[in-house]
Amino acid sequence: MPCNVVRATVLGAGMALLLAVTAAQPALCQRQNRQEEFPIDRWNRMSPEQREKELAKLPPERARLIRQRLRRYNQMNPQEQQALRERYRTFSEMPPAKQEIIRSRLKEFRQLPVERRPIVHHEVEGLRAMPDAQREGRLNSDEFRGRYSQQEQQIIRDLTEYLPDNGGPRTSPN
Amino acid sequence: MICPMESHNPEMLVAYAAGELDVEAASALERHLAECPACASLATEQATVWKALDAWEAPPVSPDFDRRLYRRIANEVHLSWWERIVRPFRPVALRQLIPVTATAGLLLMAGLVLRHQGMVAPPQARAETVHAEQVESTLDDLELLRQFAPASSAESVHPNAM
Amino acid sequence: MGVVAAALDYDAELMLRVKDGDGASFGLLLEKHRAAVIHFVYRLVQEQPVAEELAQEVFLRVYRSRSSYEPTAKFTTWLFRIATHLALNWLRDERHERGQERLDDGSPDLPARQVLDRRPSVEQELLYEVKVQEIRQAIATLPEKQRAAVLMHKYEEMEYTQIAKVLGCSESAVKSLLFRAYTTLRARLAHLGRI
Repeated sequence: MPCNVVRATVLGAGMALLLAVTAAQPALCQRQNRQEEFPIDRWNRMSPEQREKELAKLPPERARLIRQRLRRYNQMNPQEQQALRERYRTFSEMPPAKQEIIRSRLKEFRQLPVERRPIVHHEVEGLRAMPDAQREGRLNSDEFRGRYSQQEQQIIRDLTEYLPDNGGPRTSPN
Repeated sequence: MICPMESHNPEMLVAYAAGELDVEAASALERHLAECPACASLATEQATVWKALDAWEAPPVSPDFDRRLYRRIANEVHLSWWERIVRPFRPVALRQLIPVTATAGLLLMAGLVLRHQGMVAPPQARAETVHAEQVESTLDDLELLRQFAPASSAESVHPNAM
Repeated sequence: MGVVAAALDYDAELMLRVKDGDGASFGLLLEKHRAAVIHFVYRLVQEQPVAEELAQEVFLRVYRSRSSYEPTAKFTTWLFRIATHLALNWLRDERHERGQERLDDGSPDLPARQVLDRRPSVEQELLYEVKVQEIRQAIATLPEKQRAAVLMHKYEEMEYTQIAKVLGCSESAVKSLLFRAYTTLRARLAHLGRI
């Protein structure tokens, strides 16, 4: 039995070492690569066989959706693609916590009634173009509070504050 | 290019709408479409139908689908699905699992610490490979960010734009 | 498909492990293909409970065949051949029983949660339901083989060669089937572009 225990310990150590290194790698690779290159560009540069091998690891329905979404991205015009990439680059360099705020507010924005979205969108764009003092005044005005629900106000405040434009976030990421 | 309709190859227009043609064939066809109203009209209609079909989403799968299936399998083979799955691992007795789990846990924690501190150098060979999940999460972020793209505010309120 | 091609099919490898008694590999195959099979069958029969029952039968048959399994074709080709066979048989029996095809029973199995998530306004939701209903009806009017071919082509993004193997016909026959099917769909659905 002691022999079995030793064998099991060695087996466990080996498996765990593999797990540990695997767990450590993706985050680091991701961090480095993010700074280096846009993931979809690297994906597009992989051979069709490599891409299919990666996709085959996922359920077919999910892989199908990824293919479809990539096709749509690749069909966008170059200027729009470039603008989106810049925005994504700035976004991905922001601290994870702020990325999460943006994700969550954009998801909430997507859930707003369809007729409210252009109004909220327009407000955010307007606020982002204002000088700081004017923006503060607007955000604290009765007109602003009366016009938007609590949720909409939160979406507008956070997106105005954190949403990156092509030149970077409006305020310092830290 | 010979007209696909005249050359008895109208299937090419279906393949074009499905994005199945390679770049060369697609550009040759596009040049032809600029000159042939019949093909252009068919290609436009096919593209419309192709896009419209996306609207038909299948309902989500019942959460107990697997459980029902495994029950049916178990009924057939007189063994529970769990027993069949764990059977290959039975030779490892509980007593052996304790040191395995303890060592695995310790080393996994060490790995997580390394992950947090960024102490493990990424191997060069992996630098060029992107995992499909990473692409998927990038697409998720792009779709969210695109809603607020100033250059395309007309599209910005459509959540399914990409 | 030759031995080399089959060797590249990871699913076939998993199935060979199932054959060797590895239940976990069957779980992986189920996880990977569950949604695709159910969705494909659902779009063929257009009734979700039936689709799930038939999909159960598909995976049960896969499991039952494990001892005699040989990777002579791509795993998904085999899987979809079983699924197509079962779904088309069900449609034939059902049509026979009812004396007519069940095209629109007035109870579309729409993915309610997704609809609500993405289309919050009532008008848009109604418009969407009408659109989906039209698509369902248009697909349901297609002859069996055309219907299966379109669903594999459009929703499963299968290549012509694989669709041909599933349906047991030539690649050129598949192209022709698809062209005829899409001609019908264009006639019925081209106006949806204006919605």
